[in-house]
Amino acid sequence: AGQRRCPECGSAALLEDSHYAQQQLVCEACGCVLAEGLLTTTYSEEEQLREVSYLQSTGQREQQSRCLQRGIRRVQDLCKVLQLPTVFEETAVSYFRRALQLPAFHLVSLEKKELLGGCCIFVTCRQHNWPLTMGTVCSLLYAKQELFAGVFQSLQQELGLSVPALSLVDLVKTHLSSFRLFQHGAEIPAPFVEDKEKLVARTLQIVELASETWLVTGRHPIPIVTAAAFLAWQSLQPAGRLACTLRRFCSLVGVDLPPPAHLRLKELLEILLRMASQLAWLRVFHVDKKTVVKHVGELLQHRLFLLKKAFCEEEEEQGAAAPGEGSLGEGPPPSGQTEQKQSCSSEGKHPCKAARRPLLPPCLLKPKKRLRTAAPSASDCALRGDEPISDSEVEQYLRTPEEIRALRQVRAWR
Amino acid sequence: FKDDASTNPQPFTSMNFYDVDLPSQTTEDVGLSSPFPQPRELSTDFSSVDLSFLPDVTQENKEQNLPGDGCEVQEELDGSMLRSKESGVFTEGGSSSHPEASCPYTDASGACPPLTPMTPLTPVTPASEGSKILPQLQNIVSTVNLACKLDLKYIALHARNAEYNPKRFAAVIMRIREPRTTALIFSSGKMVCTGAKSEEQSRLAARKHARVVQKLGFPARFLEFKIQNMVGSCDVKFPIRLETLFLAHRRFSSYEPELFPGLIYRMVKPRIVLLIFVSGKVVLTGAKERSEINEAFENIYPILKGFNKS
Repeated sequence: AGQRRCPECGSAALLEDSHYAQQQLVCEACGCVLAEGLLTTTYSEEEQLREVSYLQSTGQREQQSRCLQRGIRRVQDLCKVLQLPTVFEETAVSYFRRALQLPAFHLVSLEKKELLGGCCIFVTCRQHNWPLTMGTVCSLLYAKQELFAGVFQSLQQELGLSVPALSLVDLVKTHLSSFRLFQHGAEIPAPFVEDKEKLVARTLQIVELASETWLVTGRHPIPIVTAAAFLAWQSLQPAGRLACTLRRFCSLVGVDLPPPAHLRLKELLEILLRMASQLAWLRVFHVDKKTVVKHVGELLQHRLFLLKKAFCEEEEEQGAAAPGEGSLGEGPPPSGQTEQKQSCSSEGKHPCKAARRPLLPPCLLKPKKRLRTAAPSASDCALRGDEPISDSEVEQYLRTPEEIRALRQVRAWR
Repeated sequence: FKDDASTNPQPFTSMNFYDVDLPSQTTEDVGLSSPFPQPRELSTDFSSVDLSFLPDVTQENKEQNLPGDGCEVQEELDGSMLRSKESGVFTEGGSSSHPEASCPYTDASGACPPLTPMTPLTPVTPASEGSKILPQLQNIVSTVNLACKLDLKYIALHARNAEYNPKRFAAVIMRIREPRTTALIFSSGKMVCTGAKSEEQSRLAARKHARVVQKLGFPARFLEFKIQNMVGSCDVKFPIRLETLFLAHRRFSSYEPELFPGLIYRMVKPRIVLLIFVSGKVVLTGAKERSEINEAFENIYPILKGFNKS
């Protein structure tokens, strides 16, 4: 083929350059644009040479291997960013390869293929009990969580993968390790610095308590961990830290404050307050939700016993002393026999019935007022489906000629 | 689990009796096997077993045995196997139920006659412990063919209860007050009717929608009316530990609190999807018949009750 020459200046120095992602053939000497090309298109539109944006393109025109290569490179980069072990990378890449061959993922948009890479990593981490949350992966991929959820569920189904539950213990350890709290720094005043092991241990205890008292089931795990970490941190040195709010704490440690965390904190404090009401020597202190933090250590120490005392199984009457202990009598109290006797005798005097409530998830304790659909009435049940339909009933749904005329006039103005 | 499979003398058929969707267990499960055995060898090949002394499955028998302890082998098999699977879960690993899987009979159900000595299955929850809760139908989706081309613009202009926005959706949305339902009417003449609370209501509603279309001047008929989906809900009245349920029934459940607060349980027989929430409310969907919803709930109730006791 002969060398193309610039029609303007006749120069042979032509080069391919891209201008805002559009390929162009440009003359080096005078800058004249000889030809414009299209970068990427979807499969059907590629056939007709119509333009489609990068993310919508299926990459079908490219060789399969290039699309696959790019996807694998992305997966590997993500693994490096997340600092995952090499065996995870290999597993995730193998999942990605397999998934891309399936018809369900072969022709999806490049946006979804990127999410697919993230999903493979997510599934791998879960299978190895590595606590990676969907939120983290989505933020790394700049992805919408609904789209991610869809791709994740299709991946699970297509490859037949079983994904174990997120381990809260591992999540606590990983989440807390990202906190900037363990060294004195410019922003972290000395009284705020905390020992990592102690904080992790206490947070784990509080999360376990939350799990036992129905605060974890069905809820997003991160807000609970954040609220628990905050409580744990406050309780380890209440003197200097009680004044610090949850919001300030999160901004100090460099972690996002998820909106539900405030609610989780409130629920945790309520549980702790109920437990505190059962500890004889705390009653004199008149603890409230601000001061109960000081006693979290003790409450956690006796939590098994306190939970049994503070919450009843059903809406049972709290009888006097021994006979009334039917609900508690499952097993012997694990600690503090003396405490039990003390609180029992004092319970006879104090009307602690009001303090006890059943141990239920919050959605059952505060049921939202919702219109309950009435159970089908007898007349509904007698319906056969082939009853006659009166003309008048049908005609109520038809417009009169006047209405139609009026409507036509209104629409004519539009 | 793998050891059990190798010691079992019966051939390991590839037919996946319970997990129709999932492929056979391969290395996809990274060393995490399900907590209960899959009695796959329990295929439908009963040629070697003498079934002559079983009562005939007549209409009366079927009706009597509806609550779930039918003597009909297949039904009982499914019911008891499902239940023994669950009880296998509670008894640490369930390997005890595995060798007994070769016997399709249980002697816990009173309706069956006593048999020649065969190893009994782990005892089945007797029917009298049935839940006594009936799921309430909340929504029925049905389709019908009006068998004539429709002018959607004309319908939207001449009917009071119709809305049509071609840029958003290519169908007319028509609502009627009694029964309170919504219909999607397409230009091809096909119609989808949603919102009814019973099969008969859905049929009546679809007929009313079709009558409106008829009155507008189209030669609408009423062909191939079919219930496509039924949704029911009920309340077991006690809270449920979804994490524990997920651990025990990994094969069937999907529990991602980051995505959705409920546990999604895909029951294989009947093929129903259940949404189980911590409050004890259960939503059942995917049924083509009311009996499937009731059966699914009767299957899940003992499982949920079992977790409540712990």
